[in-house]
Amino acid sequence: MEYIIKNGIVYDPLNGINGEKMDICVKDGKIVESVSDKAKVIDASGCVVMPGGVDSHSHVAGAKVNVGRMFRPEDSKMEIFAKKGLRTGTGFSVPSTYKTGYQYCEMGYTTVIEAAMPPLIARHTHEEFLETPQIDKAAMPLFGNNWMVLEYLKEGDIKACAAYVAWMLKATKGFAIKIVNPGGTEAWGWGKNVHSLDDPVPYFDITPREIVRGLAEVNELLGLPHSIHVHPNNLGHPGNWETTLETMKCVEGIKAKPKVGERETVYYNTHCQFHSYGGTSWKDFESKALEIAEYVNKSKHAVIDVGQVTLDETTTMTADGPMEYDLHMTNGLKWANCDVELETGSGVVPFIYSPKGPVYSVQWAIGLELFLYTNTDKVMLTTDHPNAGPFTRYPRVIAWLMSKKYRDEWLYNKVHKWAQQRSHVADADKEYDLYEIAKITRANQAKVLGLSETKGHLGVGAEADIAIYEIDPEEKDGKKIEKAFRYAKYVLKGGEVVVKDGNVVKEMFGDTIYLDVQVGEELMKEVLKDVEEKFRRYYSVNLDNYPVSEEYAHSWRPIKIDATDIN
Amino acid sequence: MKELILTLQKEIIVPVEMDKVLPEVIEKMSLEEIKNIELVQGRKRVKLDDIFDVELNDIEGEPRVVIKNSNQKLKYIGSKMTKGEVIVEGDAGMYVGAEMKGGKIVVNGNADSWAGQNMKGGELLIKGDARDYVGSAYRGDWRGMSGGTIIVEGNAGNEIGEFMRKGVIHIKGDVGIMAGIHQNGGMIIIDGNADVRVGGEMKAGAIIVYGKVEEVLPSFKFEGIVENPIIKLSKKDEGTPVTGTFYKFIGDYVNRKPKGQLYISVDSNPDLI
Repeated sequence: MEYIIKNGIVYDPLNGINGEKMDICVKDGKIVESVSDKAKVIDASGCVVMPGGVDSHSHVAGAKVNVGRMFRPEDSKMEIFAKKGLRTGTGFSVPSTYKTGYQYCEMGYTTVIEAAMPPLIARHTHEEFLETPQIDKAAMPLFGNNWMVLEYLKEGDIKACAAYVAWMLKATKGFAIKIVNPGGTEAWGWGKNVHSLDDPVPYFDITPREIVRGLAEVNELLGLPHSIHVHPNNLGHPGNWETTLETMKCVEGIKAKPKVGERETVYYNTHCQFHSYGGTSWKDFESKALEIAEYVNKSKHAVIDVGQVTLDETTTMTADGPMEYDLHMTNGLKWANCDVELETGSGVVPFIYSPKGPVYSVQWAIGLELFLYTNTDKVMLTTDHPNAGPFTRYPRVIAWLMSKKYRDEWLYNKVHKWAQQRSHVADADKEYDLYEIAKITRANQAKVLGLSETKGHLGVGAEADIAIYEIDPEEKDGKKIEKAFRYAKYVLKGGEVVVKDGNVVKEMFGDTIYLDVQVGEELMKEVLKDVEEKFRRYYSVNLDNYPVSEEYAHSWRPIKIDATDIN
Repeated sequence: MKELILTLQKEIIVPVEMDKVLPEVIEKMSLEEIKNIELVQGRKRVKLDDIFDVELNDIEGEPRVVIKNSNQKLKYIGSKMTKGEVIVEGDAGMYVGAEMKGGKIVVNGNADSWAGQNMKGGELLIKGDARDYVGSAYRGDWRGMSGGTIIVEGNAGNEIGEFMRKGVIHIKGDVGIMAGIHQNGGMIIIDGNADVRVGGEMKAGAIIVYGKVEEVLPSFKFEGIVENPIIKLSKKDEGTPVTGTFYKFIGDYVNRKPKGQLYISVDSNPDLI
């Protein structure tokens, strides 16, 4: 099938194309130089053309998402998706899998990374991937509290740790190293937490600093496409900005050596909004976003995604078990908690970010501050779906960024006055243009995930994942911006039109991307001995039953990485 | 104003959702339009006159819907209604008066579970029995009934007034277990007997039981015996006078600083303490 997209205004930051009127040709699922006369014409006059969106951090599939769905039937009732020819779905903050896929696609997103996969329950994540249409997927297994990792890093055995990570990525069909509250979730197994970067983990006697630094070294030793993906300690606690800065600093000096992709950074700080809090309690709570933004701007090794609070009723879920307990004690709402044997833990709590709440308003402002003061090459749009708000609110976040008028309407009329008093969002005159929006919603993500060879741009050879939005580049009406980005005019996935006028017209299933890393055979044998020992002594499952097996292979797309030089 | 009389033609097997047939809706419609109202039946849609005989009269006063020959297959009767009157001749299915904001529903028969779920205002009168979850919250929700009055002349089932915040539930018969569970305001009056765990995990509000109570949870604190108490639900509340002699308890102390009041008739429970 051939297509030619005519007269659209193209924004493609990875190729430096900023609002040029040009035609895009598509053939057999790829973007090509030219097409024959038989190509179908898509008229994009009056529209902007961008690469398909890439979400680098979203909780869309797996055990804790499903706990959210199960224990929040009242959320299920809040939004119902029923369109002819498509599977029905429900849920506002924790939508069912089909609704997730369709709605991402409606917004022009074509690739989504599941942010936290407990390795032991990887099958569940992949099971849900099988039922999530329209998007390419990948999942990041959790390593920051894994016993094997803690032991290897304690001994300083980076190579063995690297081999273990390589084995785990292949066994769970994972994509990157995710670290959540390093050491803290393990400490939660003792009913404790870690509160600073040098607070030792009970029993293992290793510090979060050693875990983060060690895994960053492992990551670059293996040459993985994505850097370590870190949710630092002390999430959501007033005064945590210092921990955040220290964590960013602790990996300084490590060089990015990806074997695939064009990544230049070694540290990805996710949902940075939750980590930029000043003050000592909720009473003197204030924004430290400027300090964080300043550090990120001047350092070459770090990028952030924001985790913008959207001021909705939502469901929080994270592998940061102790933090969810704190949250439950704060708002008194129902709480689910889970311990994943030797690997991690998790918690789920519903949460209402009321615009009238002073603290929530400051959280909202901190997110916007990070967007407005950070270099747009180093920041990415997320809402940490569903923790700070559902992904269907991305268009609203875009509208806040593109229109100061719309932002001010919220700042002065809808949210609590603390947002003006305790942050610098009111002083920012910056308005994003569409080029910058394209950066923070697709280009930056593709680059930092190491997928920029084929994703996140519109150059020849790229996958034909294309979003076309009906919007005037000078538009400042917040409502119109929101509508344009919520319902794309056209979306192409793999060279096929899948969305037309905001409606999904074709259901198709994307690929599941994972890493197939080969390390030296001798080393792997040694490490497997340790793995077998752990399974024999501690795991509740047999080693043979552990890896995600071929039954879950729907459309697997492995990225092969040769690290056999590690012996 | 208009009066719509619906007579169910024959027994139906698959339940029908009646939430589109409300007094305020039919008020503005012609007979032809009313006959063509689409109702959800299982996974299909049916027209109103496929299953009902439809009759439309002009009457004095508020608009009214009368459902004759009704049975428990008719769900969501009067759901989300704001004014007027719905009269059910026969039994009502699940969710009768769910999320209703105003007006009045009279069920001249029994009602299935979830009657008056998340009710916000108005009056729901059930002349027969009601099953479980009378005046409760939606499944999973912690924000329950926030106003209005529910009266059940017969017995009611388990977990009535779950997560209730405001309003009144008056059961003239007996109730099952866990009446007023998680109650956070409002008043539940039970004329008959109550099974175990009355007021479990309640934080505020009041429960009055005139009949026999199986047990009082150990997490309730005995405050003494009161005569003809005036029950205040908040500081500004003028209070509701109640006649009789009661044991008064405060609870449930599984919560921090609970303000829930539990009154249990001394006459019916001479050996309780």
